[in-house]
Amino acid sequence: MTEMDRADERSVVARLRAGDIDAFDEVYDAYRPRVFAFLLRMTRNRMLAEDLLDETWLRLVRHAPKLLPDTRVGPWLFTVARNLYWNYRRDSLVPDASVPDLLTLWPSPVPWPSPFDLAAAGELERRVERALATLSPQYREVLLLVAHEGLTPAEAAVVCGVSPDALRQRLLRARAALARTLEDTPAVAGLKKGYAI
Amino acid sequence: MTVDEEPQDDVLASVARLKPRDVSSRHAHRLRRLCHAALQTPSGRHTAAVAARGMFFSRVVGPALGGAWCLAYLMEIVRRAAAMYLLHP
Repeated sequence: MTEMDRADERSVVARLRAGDIDAFDEVYDAYRPRVFAFLLRMTRNRMLAEDLLDETWLRLVRHAPKLLPDTRVGPWLFTVARNLYWNYRRDSLVPDASVPDLLTLWPSPVPWPSPFDLAAAGELERRVERALATLSPQYREVLLLVAHEGLTPAEAAVVCGVSPDALRQRLLRARAALARTLEDTPAVAGLKKGYAI
Repeated sequence: MTVDEEPQDDVLASVARLKPRDVSSRHAHRLRRLCHAALQTPSGRHTAAVAARGMFFSRVVGPALGGAWCLAYLMEIVRRAAAMYLLHP
């Protein structure tokens, strides 16, 4: 299950509130990879993304009885994941930009994308991943939520805690920043010429 | 682009086409079991409140008690040193 329609979602939320494990599994299977991908691209660190993913799902379980009947599960999960990420950033004494370098000081660094991840990715994907990683987290999150996770800008605005207009502006700026970053690369030269990617 | 309009252009499409990522199956299974356990047991659902209480103690009460004890210890040292100095100047 990748997407739930509204009726299904209401039913799943009602069952979740009652502590139904099958309902949890439906939500878990549908959203775990999506929330993890979002966290991985935000944190750029697999271990940290896994920790935040665990906490996101545990919060869902803990808050399940208190979910409102019309809760949108996807945006709820992305909101929690995003808030956990920003809380981590606020609490962290180390600036985000220096984390990848510092991680190499530890015995078992698992930065992301790892050389293995990069080798496995296609050429264009590699460029896009790298370009995304250079953007500010504010731009990255809005691009990921709207373009990759398929949230509507209105839903993404709720997740990011901004007005829809502000989100729209941020999305346009983020898109422009990503295009600028990709501009120098041959892959985007291909994009501009309309080549298939 | 309106607020609810789906963005359609090559740059955003390249983001949309990024491969999905997931945790290892072992990690996914472990997390699922953890959540099942928390969902099934009423006490599991109260873990957050217990954890919050624990966090309050470890972040506020504990350091406050420790700080108060250190302060009292320091003051007692100063008091005894001052007493010794006054007795044997």
